[in-house]
Amino acid sequence: MEVKLRKVALISTVPVLLLIALSARLAIHPGQTWTPVRVELPVSETAFPSGRGVEITPQCLICHSAGMVLRQPPLTREEWAGEINKMRNVFGAPLPADQVDALAGYLYGINGRQDTSRPTATDGQGS
Amino acid sequence: MHRSTLLPAALSRRRFIVRAGGMGMAGLFGTSTWDAMASTFVDLPFAIGHRELATNFPQKGAMILQRTRPPLLETPFDVFDQGVFTPNDRFYVRWHLANIPVFVDPAAFRINIHGHVRRPVSLTLHDLAREFKSLEIAAVNQCSGNSRGFFKPRVVGGEWANGAMGNALWKGVSLKDVLDRAGVKAGALQVRFNGLDTGVIPQTPDFMKSLGIDHARNGEVMIAYAMNGAPLPLLNGFPVRLVVPGWYATYWVKMLNDIEVLDTPDDNFWTRKAYLIPDTPFASIEPGQRDVKMIPINRMLPRSFFTNIKDEAVLKIGQTTTVRGIAFGGDAGVAKVFFSADAGGRWEEARLGPDHGKYSFRRWEVPLRLTSPGPYLFKVKAQNTAGTVQPDRANWNGAGFMRNVIESISVRAA
Repeated sequence: MEVKLRKVALISTVPVLLLIALSARLAIHPGQTWTPVRVELPVSETAFPSGRGVEITPQCLICHSAGMVLRQPPLTREEWAGEINKMRNVFGAPLPADQVDALAGYLYGINGRQDTSRPTATDGQGS
Repeated sequence: MHRSTLLPAALSRRRFIVRAGGMGMAGLFGTSTWDAMASTFVDLPFAIGHRELATNFPQKGAMILQRTRPPLLETPFDVFDQGVFTPNDRFYVRWHLANIPVFVDPAAFRINIHGHVRRPVSLTLHDLAREFKSLEIAAVNQCSGNSRGFFKPRVVGGEWANGAMGNALWKGVSLKDVLDRAGVKAGALQVRFNGLDTGVIPQTPDFMKSLGIDHARNGEVMIAYAMNGAPLPLLNGFPVRLVVPGWYATYWVKMLNDIEVLDTPDDNFWTRKAYLIPDTPFASIEPGQRDVKMIPINRMLPRSFFTNIKDEAVLKIGQTTTVRGIAFGGDAGVAKVFFSADAGGRWEEARLGPDHGKYSFRRWEVPLRLTSPGPYLFKVKAQNTAGTVQPDRANWNGAGFMRNVIESISVRAA
């Protein structure tokens, strides 16, 4: 019984392995054609939740979708301001300086760290 | 035989097969059908860990969605139980800048080698494949911030669980041979790598990384045009990416099209100011500590994981179970893997699977029979051939880099 099953498995995997080997040859061997690749990247449908200051958030969406912001750990208002200023100073976000505080207030409002007894944990690197 | 412990992984594998089957239908009936089927979620084991399992990224199966644009996609951990090589369509994805070419014509693609060289060179993919000796290396590609979501206290960044890593058999040519073609001049210090991706606005620093000239010429750093016997998925860097065995993935520049030999230290943002770690053992400091020398991230550390038993699993008393997982040594081979069923009181050496080279994942396994009921804390730790062992206490730094603490899972015997 076991032997039979193994045979069936072998028969079904051999053509697949051959196919894999052939496609690899096509792609990387001398004289063979590389195939152009065209893809479509999904568009995020995640929106920032409503709140005072939400009208500034389209500025964030120039460079990245909203989801990453919403998945961050809670931050103090100062830490959020630090992140916003990193986006401005390091990555060139065209956000006027006088909107930083309002945006930090918005982000703190939707995901604020209440416990301020410990020091700030983030080191502000751009990564 | 060990059905009870294998059930969770087997179930999720079946779910994946069903979903992969559905993808074919999406091709036939359009994406809306597929999107409606794709609303599956996972909860990563930390606060704010709810994630969509996305199936709408090109050349990718089900991936944990960390960010849509630019894409950050995590490999669901079940995938690592299926083998030591991570399938291309489940390999994690990490981009810094959103202006990613969605069309690449291999016939028009060129890699330019210039800067502090005797003769600048422009190579086609055919040149690479035809005129240089090919080599293959099995190597783990791991994001510097893999496992960042587990940092305590939490830090900002991509909030990954443990799946921002993968192992592949990379095929390509040695960077050394390509540099030799251009003829590196005396006084060269670093080699800087740039890919086709750019920022959305011109003010954003282009993503570039540099390696020291000796490292770049060590014969192992390679320009890879194949991954597990197939072309790279576009989101993993098609048509070619840099492979830096043993080093964190930040250096593995994707869609690599520009190589510049420098005779002065690279002062671009991504090399000089980003991806810096404390110059301390395991890059670890205390939260809030500021008086520390920072250096560019570099060699990976050893890690090991359970793959067939999950946290909070229930094992049957008296039944023999194979506990298994994967390990890697970082910048050295896996020497030993140790397993403990009693929270680190007694360690037992695991049996290691086939060796695919010092930079690869390696399977480990231990047969286990629990005889008394109750809770158990399982631990696993790897020791690499340089003698480095995973630490008992989690390393911590403000960027969330290089986590490699001994992994633990809570198991109950009943």
